[in-house]
Amino acid sequence: MINEVRNTVMAILNKDNNGYVTPEEFNLFAKQAQLELFEEYFYDYKNALNLQNKRLSNSGYADIPKQLAEVIDLFTKKSTGLTYVGGTTSFTLPTDWYTLNVVYYNTTTEVERVNQNKINQLVMSNITAPTTTYPAYYLTGASNSTPTPTSPGNSIIVYPSTIINNIDVLYVRYPSDPKWTYNTVSGSPVFNQSAADYQDFELPLSDQDTLVFKILEYAGVNIREAAVTAFASQEEAINDQKET
Amino acid sequence: MAYITNYQYYTNSGTVPQNANWGEYQYVSLKDIVNNFMLMYVGDDKLVNNVTRYNVLFHAKRGIQEINYDALRNIKVLQQSVGDDLRFVLPPDYVNYVRISVEKDGILFPLHENSQINYATEYLKDNNGNLLFDQNGEVLEEELSQLDRDRLAGLPKQQFLDSGLRYGQWGWCVDGSWYFSYGIGGYYGLDTSKANVNDSFRINKQSGVINFSSGVNAQSIVLEYVSDGMENGDDDSVTINKLAEDYIYSYVRWAILDNKIDTQEYVVRRAKKEKMAKLRNAKIRLSNMHSGRLLMTLRGRDKWIK
Repeated sequence: MINEVRNTVMAILNKDNNGYVTPEEFNLFAKQAQLELFEEYFYDYKNALNLQNKRLSNSGYADIPKQLAEVIDLFTKKSTGLTYVGGTTSFTLPTDWYTLNVVYYNTTTEVERVNQNKINQLVMSNITAPTTTYPAYYLTGASNSTPTPTSPGNSIIVYPSTIINNIDVLYVRYPSDPKWTYNTVSGSPVFNQSAADYQDFELPLSDQDTLVFKILEYAGVNIREAAVTAFASQEEAINDQKET
Repeated sequence: MAYITNYQYYTNSGTVPQNANWGEYQYVSLKDIVNNFMLMYVGDDKLVNNVTRYNVLFHAKRGIQEINYDALRNIKVLQQSVGDDLRFVLPPDYVNYVRISVEKDGILFPLHENSQINYATEYLKDNNGNLLFDQNGEVLEEELSQLDRDRLAGLPKQQFLDSGLRYGQWGWCVDGSWYFSYGIGGYYGLDTSKANVNDSFRINKQSGVINFSSGVNAQSIVLEYVSDGMENGDDDSVTINKLAEDYIYSYVRWAILDNKIDTQEYVVRRAKKEKMAKLRNAKIRLSNMHSGRLLMTLRGRDKWIK
């Protein structure tokens, strides 16, 4: 999909000789556009659920929450046997997580997320103190083994403290950075899909038009062409309106 | 919990204890209650959403405690001998007693609670009657109060029991002559709440012991008591009878809605009504009324009363 997106973007930009975007710039805009769209899925999903609860949603092909959930599900990943760091009594999370879905202990027992400010009260409670049947965790900063985390909190502390292994996590990961790879032929970049670092967009094909508009917005700002940005914004707004 | 095969049920798959699964079908575990509630009653399209599992766990346990006091009456029985200290330490899961008896030759003789058997703390004093304190400024206490010492020594005797003050009977000494109520008529002024030939006890809730009158020394005591169903904090052992399962769901739902901000009052009231109705249902179901047993009891109507 990435080549079609780039070709479309270049076609619109080259109309009236608006300007040119290098492959490196395109890759930066593509990453930004994909991240933006990826995050929008969660808000769209929330809005769709709100509509559903107001009985403004339907079933079958009109089941929008289901369709949105299917896209988000594409990014779910399971990481088994998280590494336990004895010094900080924490488990190190994978570096590409966006949001944690479920944490499991011993494959099937769900570990519940608890806010940091509640964990002490929970542990001290006679009736709800975490046990191996009802374990709990809270999210915390980097553990000793990973001094440069990619996420603000990249480890979890699990209660009861007797749990020191068999922690798995089901999470939603960030999409991989798209990369339009190329060979230079006669001074011009020519698309090369077989390059080792090639990476296509991970969003569904139905998002191709939105990706084009978003990249055009960035490109328009880059080449100082207000008309391009205005066109892209307007098209995106119309698109959003249709989808709601 | 998944259904188990007959082999697993009768023999626990050949592992010890083999009776581990006997009768378990009557019960649903706390784990299942919490899991089912989170699955069936919590969601974006349900009345309850965005609730933590520990919230559900807390209310489920509270509901189980409540129904244990109200309807389940799962009575536990503990037998122990009482020594010279005439004391019986309450079991760790004790909430309230149902009956306390002395067991003799397989027969239970119920004891009665006597508020006149008292307990007290006694402070130590020097010869001049001044209180004594330790190095931290705390007052020193006697190991046993005068009340305890009297009780251990067999005093006071119960009124109208088999051992009296004179000739084995309670009486009044007037001008050197003894008068006994039997000789002059009925037991006028008898306190029926304490008139029992068996011994008596008093529960010291603060100390967590049952104090007995001296007659039970070296006797075997049977304590029937109710617990709160929490199985000493072992969550995996906490279960509830299936006849009360629906009540627990209703209780948890009401408790959560009652505490949730912006829940319409009519929704809370509806949940409360449902909870109360389910509690009544559970009580009726658990009251264990059988027509055959009722018939046996009603046959007593034909008995001749002399």
